[in-house]
Amino acid sequence: MPTITIFKQDLEGLLAAPGEAPQPITMEQLEESLMLVKGELKEQNSDTGELRIELQDSNRPDLWCCEGIARQIRVKRRGALAKYDFLTTRPKSPKQLNVAPGLEKVRPYVAACTATGYRVTQEGLAQLIQTQEKLAEMFGRKRRTVSIGLYRLAAIEFPVTYDLVKPDEVTFTPLGMDTVMTLGEMLLVHPKGLEFGGILAGHDHLPVLRDAKRQVLSFPPIINSREIGEVRVGDDALFIEVTGSDLSMVVLTLNIFAANLADRDAVIEPIEIRYPYKTALGMAIMTPQDLGKSRKLPVSTIEQALGQSLGAQEVAKALTAYGYEVMTKSKNVTVRLPFYRQDLMHAMDVVEDVAISRGYGDFLPVMPSQFTVGGLSRIEEVSDRARTLMVGMGFQEIISNILGSPKDLRDAMRLEGTEWGQLVEVDNVMSQNFSALRQWMLPSLLRVEAASNRAFYPHRIFEAGEVARHDLTQPLGSRTVTVLGGMIAHVDAHFSEAHSCLDTLFYYVSQTYSLEPIQHPSFLAGRVGSIVSEGKQIGVIGELHPEVLERWQISVPAVAFEVDLTELAERS
Amino acid sequence: MNISSLIDSLHPLEVKVLSTFAANPSAILQTEQLAQSTGLEPSQLSMAVEWLLAKSLLAVDTETVTSIVSLTKIGELYFEKYSPIERVLSAARDAAKTGKRLTIQDIQSREGLEPAEVSGAIGRLKKEGALLIIQGGCIESTGRSSQTAEAIRGLLQQLHGTPRGLQAFPEAQRQVIQDHAVKRGNAREPFRIDDRVARALKLSVTGIEAAQQLSRQGTAEEVSQLTPELLKDGSWRAKRFRKYTISLRAPRIAPGKRHPYREFLDAVKTKLVSMGFQEMRGALVETEFWNMDALFMPQFHPARDIHDVYFVKEPTHASSIAEPYLSQVAQAHRNGGGTGSTGWNYPFDAERARRLVLRSQGTAVSAHTLAAQPAVPGKYFSIARCFRYDQVDATHATDFFQVEGIVLGEDINFRTLLGLLNLFAREVAQAKEVKFLPAYFPFTEPSVELHVRHPKLGWMELGGAGLFRPEVTLPLGVTVPVIAWGLGLDRMAMVALGIHDIRELFTDNLDLIRSTRGAY
Repeated sequence: MPTITIFKQDLEGLLAAPGEAPQPITMEQLEESLMLVKGELKEQNSDTGELRIELQDSNRPDLWCCEGIARQIRVKRRGALAKYDFLTTRPKSPKQLNVAPGLEKVRPYVAACTATGYRVTQEGLAQLIQTQEKLAEMFGRKRRTVSIGLYRLAAIEFPVTYDLVKPDEVTFTPLGMDTVMTLGEMLLVHPKGLEFGGILAGHDHLPVLRDAKRQVLSFPPIINSREIGEVRVGDDALFIEVTGSDLSMVVLTLNIFAANLADRDAVIEPIEIRYPYKTALGMAIMTPQDLGKSRKLPVSTIEQALGQSLGAQEVAKALTAYGYEVMTKSKNVTVRLPFYRQDLMHAMDVVEDVAISRGYGDFLPVMPSQFTVGGLSRIEEVSDRARTLMVGMGFQEIISNILGSPKDLRDAMRLEGTEWGQLVEVDNVMSQNFSALRQWMLPSLLRVEAASNRAFYPHRIFEAGEVARHDLTQPLGSRTVTVLGGMIAHVDAHFSEAHSCLDTLFYYVSQTYSLEPIQHPSFLAGRVGSIVSEGKQIGVIGELHPEVLERWQISVPAVAFEVDLTELAERS
Repeated sequence: MNISSLIDSLHPLEVKVLSTFAANPSAILQTEQLAQSTGLEPSQLSMAVEWLLAKSLLAVDTETVTSIVSLTKIGELYFEKYSPIERVLSAARDAAKTGKRLTIQDIQSREGLEPAEVSGAIGRLKKEGALLIIQGGCIESTGRSSQTAEAIRGLLQQLHGTPRGLQAFPEAQRQVIQDHAVKRGNAREPFRIDDRVARALKLSVTGIEAAQQLSRQGTAEEVSQLTPELLKDGSWRAKRFRKYTISLRAPRIAPGKRHPYREFLDAVKTKLVSMGFQEMRGALVETEFWNMDALFMPQFHPARDIHDVYFVKEPTHASSIAEPYLSQVAQAHRNGGGTGSTGWNYPFDAERARRLVLRSQGTAVSAHTLAAQPAVPGKYFSIARCFRYDQVDATHATDFFQVEGIVLGEDINFRTLLGLLNLFAREVAQAKEVKFLPAYFPFTEPSVELHVRHPKLGWMELGGAGLFRPEVTLPLGVTVPVIAWGLGLDRMAMVALGIHDIRELFTDNLDLIRSTRGAY
């Protein structure tokens, strides 16, 4: 979900047809129109006209720029998408870009075109750079699948070659540096080399773009040349290339750039890419290229999903006004996405576009009418019963994080190296405080006790909730269990006090139990018992060990118990 | 204060003292007389008298000061073992009988007396002519008696155990007493003279009124506590119960009660059940398969990044994923399988599907339900704990509840989806105005964001929903349309609880938890 910056006056210019005066738009109209692009206005500066817009749809990279947003609104206003001539009118002898053998194993695909006649403005340049960054970062998966280069066309002599060279074979001055370096050196010292070098890891030959005079354009996907690869305000002839590992994504990205520049009145001239190896589109590919496929679907599919009869004409009208190419034939529509989109996977994607184009407000909400019976899960019922009883016995309920630290869950409970101390731990730890799931409830209760020595005594607290028990016999390596933990803390806290509560609890959930003496490091020896019910150990009760209290910096005695509610729920 | 509330405020001891005057309200009574007629201990009496004086119910008529002589501890000792003067005299007489020479040192060591005591005694005896000091520091009895020694003996006997007024003694004895009384700088003396103040007390005008009213009230004894005994023998009828000052602040107690946030979630739970939703439960640890693959999130999706999800350390992978779901979901990712989709066109990694993560979205629970032959029509919900790889701050928790669920049915479509959201807006947020905005979720199409005008918060996003993509439902065996919905309730909960920091939902501050009222 990228958030982009655009300028209102730039948007207004783009909303007008080529050669027309800008079309003013009020903020109200803008917010309404942003529904067409799943955009949300996050910030605005009415002095500068700067707008911060978040675009939700991660499958619509064409919308992550001012041109794309304007285009979607424009299409809706005019009812159909304008023609982009460069897709159909091809140059007789196109400029060429030759691909070297071996690149199929490194970074196989490239697409390119030129754009002339648009003089780059300050705002236009900012948009170009922002689009380049957002597309490479989010759509291109941090340049891995797609990266983009923009150049000053005047300095380039065709044909351009997409070459494969040894790391020390070629040198040039990269953007952001003022000395000549080899490709290998750039990987080692250039910030972009360090950031993106991993994409080329394991390759002893590296990709490079050079023109007919053998001057380097760039080292994709790392960095452009400082001489040719830095577009400036005032330039009016550009060369655009996209390289990557996925052919259709590479072509789509170039299509988006071509559409954006064409919308700014540039003339787009396609370039022929010549591969020494086979691709899904052949060995000579003209780019940009419309890769869209027609898709036929029954109007009834759309109507059913929307819950509204529209008829083929209305469907066609809505889709056309959203940029689609549509043909209707009796009860079917044949649709084709505009060339800057590739996100049609299922008929349901078309359904949503119909709804968005007509506006969600156009659909009258209807209540689902079929009868269903509601209810709680058994474990929730048992848990609620236990909670009610605990409240009745004067306990204050608490809620805690389930994610905690091994220090609290295990070490401070004196459970290192014991079966009770086994934890489900996190692999990619961000903070030790949140690196393991709690395996029992008592540390959660102690956390509150430790922070509450100023709260008047006695303290009677409980929590019913989930814990994760490490258990390698389980398919997931652990079991999620709902337990009840209760704790009493005050100067005279005594085993029998907790025992009475436990006894009462079992009476009212209609279960029997007995206490069997055990050794448990968290409790005082001789004052701890396993809660045994129907021959199973389903909990523990005892006076907390002074060393545990010390580690939690608790200065009054505490007595606690814990019962496995999942076990009780499964019985009844 | 009027008389009757004044009487109500009286302590039982005060009542006793006042009642003594009841027979003769103008009587002037000595403290001793009061002690006798009330039968109170001196300390209790003096307390009651002081209180009554402070309340101006009692007044002092006259005050007389009497000097009382009593024996000190030393005095009692002298009574038992004789005083130094007696002992020195008797030692001198013994020596005279045996003809021994008696030095001052001899007396000191034989009698175990302090040098000051010995020299004091000798001085006095010599003055009275009962002793002579001869050459070589020896003393000799003259055979004469000592008035002082006799007077002291007499006084010790008279005062032993019974203090007496100083004025009762003749002048000569008074002199001896004063000479041998404890004074500053000389504590080792047999006698003590104390000034005792004797008060004659009488009732004030208000006191007379109070006493008369008390006597009218009868002699019913006042008690502070109703006891089983009083009830058993009916004697409570003859008692009066002391009235309490009920305006005092009540003592604090900490009641047993639910956590305010849990109370909020309980209300949501009840509301959903009342709307026909059945609760679902799931595990805290999930496979990437159920957490993401089954929801048609491609394995290269940015939200599946190492920086978005917590991975489990050990074991790293689940033992298996149930078939046929694994194969069917994998196929849907690769090329759509039989779902009518093109799929994502990438090599699905079945190993990755088994990778264990901490559940990052409640929708994982719904995915399990879809694969477990859910009821059609059916409505389900869960309030599931989820984990996100987020820096914790006032608006981001690493560990939080998600309220979400599904609705299955032949009649499910985009319009019934909007109808359901309308219902949520009304029932959960008490909102009458709603807005539906297009939204994006990887697993739904079409997708909607529900915005409502909350009575307190104004326009806010209440939740997101959509129709599950066929790529989600078909591989899991569900052929009817399914609504997937989720509600974002944390902001509402925070307003209900009056907090501004999401971390306080799970606070460790017992005082805060105890004092938060919650919403109901």
